[in-house]
Amino acid sequence: MLRYTMKRVLTGVLSLFVLATVTFFLVRLIPGSPFQRGGVSSQVVEAVEEEYGLNEPMLDQYLTYMGSLLRGDMGISYQDPGTEVAEIIGRAWPITASLGITALAAAMILGTALGVIRAVAENRALREIISAGSMLAAGIPSFAAAILLMLLFSVKLRMLPASGLLSPVHYILPTAALSLYPAAVISRLTGNTLRAELQKDYVLFARAKGLGKWRTIFTHALKNAYLPVLSYAGPASASLLTGSFVIESIFTIPGLGREFVSSVTNRDYTLILGLTVFMGTVVIAVNLLTDLLCAWLDPRMRRAYREEDV
Amino acid sequence: MRIRRKRTAAALAAGLFCTAFLSGCVTAEAPESGGGKEITVAVNSETGTLDPAGSIALTYLAYSVSALDELLTFDEEGNIEYRAAERYEVNEDSTVWTFYLREEALWSDGTPVTSEDFLNTAVRALDPASGSGYANYLFPIENAEEIYNGEADPETLGVETPDDYTLVFRLDEPCVYFLDLLRLPVYTPSCAEYADSADSGWDKDPETSLANGPFCLAEYVPDQYFVLEKNENYWNRDAVKLDRITYRFFDDAQAMANAYEAGEVDVATSLPSTVMELYEGRDDLLVTDQIATRYIYFNLDVEPLDDVRVREAFNLALNREDLCKIVGADTEPAYNLVAKYMKDKETGEFFTDGAAQPFEEDVERARELLAEAGYPDGEGFPTLTYSYPTLEMDSYTAQVIQEQLKKNLNIEIELRAQELQSNYSSRYAGDFDLIRMNWTADFADPYTYLSMLLSNSTYNCSGIDDPEYDALVERSNSETDPAARAELMHEAEQLAVGQQFYIIPLYAMKSVNLVNPEITGIRQIPASGALEYRYADI
Repeated sequence: MLRYTMKRVLTGVLSLFVLATVTFFLVRLIPGSPFQRGGVSSQVVEAVEEEYGLNEPMLDQYLTYMGSLLRGDMGISYQDPGTEVAEIIGRAWPITASLGITALAAAMILGTALGVIRAVAENRALREIISAGSMLAAGIPSFAAAILLMLLFSVKLRMLPASGLLSPVHYILPTAALSLYPAAVISRLTGNTLRAELQKDYVLFARAKGLGKWRTIFTHALKNAYLPVLSYAGPASASLLTGSFVIESIFTIPGLGREFVSSVTNRDYTLILGLTVFMGTVVIAVNLLTDLLCAWLDPRMRRAYREEDV
Repeated sequence: MRIRRKRTAAALAAGLFCTAFLSGCVTAEAPESGGGKEITVAVNSETGTLDPAGSIALTYLAYSVSALDELLTFDEEGNIEYRAAERYEVNEDSTVWTFYLREEALWSDGTPVTSEDFLNTAVRALDPASGSGYANYLFPIENAEEIYNGEADPETLGVETPDDYTLVFRLDEPCVYFLDLLRLPVYTPSCAEYADSADSGWDKDPETSLANGPFCLAEYVPDQYFVLEKNENYWNRDAVKLDRITYRFFDDAQAMANAYEAGEVDVATSLPSTVMELYEGRDDLLVTDQIATRYIYFNLDVEPLDDVRVREAFNLALNREDLCKIVGADTEPAYNLVAKYMKDKETGEFFTDGAAQPFEEDVERARELLAEAGYPDGEGFPTLTYSYPTLEMDSYTAQVIQEQLKKNLNIEIELRAQELQSNYSSRYAGDFDLIRMNWTADFADPYTYLSMLLSNSTYNCSGIDDPEYDALVERSNSETDPAARAELMHEAEQLAVGQQFYIIPLYAMKSVNLVNPEITGIRQIPASGALEYRYADI
């Protein structure tokens, strides 16, 4: 298990290195300059680029950048020369993460509850409604959901704020928009696997022994049914934790996703790179954690890893 | 065991949920309401610094109109309104400009505003490390360009400060529009005590970011909002009615319009034209003129665009009325390079109304011209490419132009939509046949437009090299009689737009704004068309 973990960490570091390298050259290949704006004269742009060392050979720039990155220095933002990239990430990530965790928790709770109801409900109409609803929710893109929610609750009903993340109430709409899709997927996964699980002999046995229906579901069947959900929730939480470009822009939330979009628009090379490396780290770490968590819950997988170690 | 694990998991999930909410409350604080009269204004997402000598963009423009006093400015009638200066003198040939500063003017910390503070901005902006995009507007000053290029010592700059309240600019050449330049950031003061460099962060720290205008910085939360409060040390504080202005950053215009509709902001500017229809007839809607022209550059190095007959045919074949009907209610046909809504300070009329329209649209004549150039009914005409940014307005424009040229001249153009930054770099690299251009006036003088087509201008991306035009524009720069000067500028524009057809003017734009009807006293800055809240009240 330890060796497996070590191996995963090493490949993770290697992936990050490749990611940083590819991104470094790709951003410099996009036409445009960090200092080019509509009304700025080209003489001025050239002088400023020289000042920032952007006219040096690309390989030299790359070595300098990687050198400082290894020392943990991600440089300063070109757009806002007083601010370090690390500072911007330190400011934006807590916002993105708090929204991401809220959305993830909401999706897990709601998705699981609906999935369980769909698996055990005796009322066929109820099952069909949940099934159709989750199908619909999985089909609506999050940006469309966001705009619809905003139109309804902020603009028409004026019940909820439309922009920013200034108080707990501000969390409601973006959380709803973000968690709609994962909740739908989780409810479908839970419902399908739980229904299959409930057909198994051990469930019958537990009931025969006199264990109550709900207790059987929650202490035995759900645990086994939950593995596919966990392997879905891992990558899903990675994407929630690195911020949604679209949702953050629509609700004007100062998180990572919005920083990323504006850094690309502004050709803020250092910020694009810093954000890419940071997001890459989060994605790799979360995926690793999910795998370890699955192994912890599923003895079969744990055994597989152990065999791999030998 | 299993049950316990399950319970732990449930407890964990609940815990996470709570932390998420709590952390949410901690990470994003709402601007505190301090009581008194306050308004909230929606502005575009944060870009650039608040340092007038730094790399500024829209955020600075929003800040400076309320917080900084330039030496002097012009009101809507074209009269001088003295701000940091109380009078000025200029020598006979407009090369030495002396400004006498207001002695009672103070920074927001109560220290006097001195000539040194103006020099501080200019000197710092002339160091390319500052990233100032406006440094070239200092170049009329003696040695400024040499200093910027590292060929002269900053000490030799033609700005003198004989005493704390006298500021002298020595220019290389006569510059009759010099007063109009004074509103640009590089001519605005920055407190010499704190404003040391563009990257020390002084500009967004309320302790060191001092203002000499009606409002000063009280709070700055990156990416979210900033708050200005009334500057109690302002020399003209009695004229200031508001106590606080909060500026909130938004990423897109639709989000701003929604926030206005939801009552979260009092003012939202530069909204999509569809808002005009939604709010038609309501007091909230405020439509203002933008001092800007959308036009197309020809690449004169590309055949057959080097033929003036072809360029004229393009200009005459378009129907701008039809174009504007499709692009949006916030556009109006333009036939000039100089912005349609720019006023002539002498007459108070729009500058472009002071002369005949450079050309008239005429499809028949356009077809004849094309035939004369060797392409009867568009036969044999190469397929040219039109490059434009992927903004909605420009995409509509491109499609209409493509359709009109096909219908009227039977020629094909290919459309190349580019991301905005890529479009800028294609333009500067000369990598285009036809390219979209938009120019918003930097200062309230037609020279801001005419200078772009000069053979040595860095904005001249189409390869225009016309000695006659250069000579006319140069003469207008030293002509001190306003009427004679206007005459020269009209002549130059006539030559470039109505005879040589170097560009295809398309349309002028209106700005669609929503303003809480309870707010009074919002003014429009004549030079840029932007809204100004310094004398607003609620």
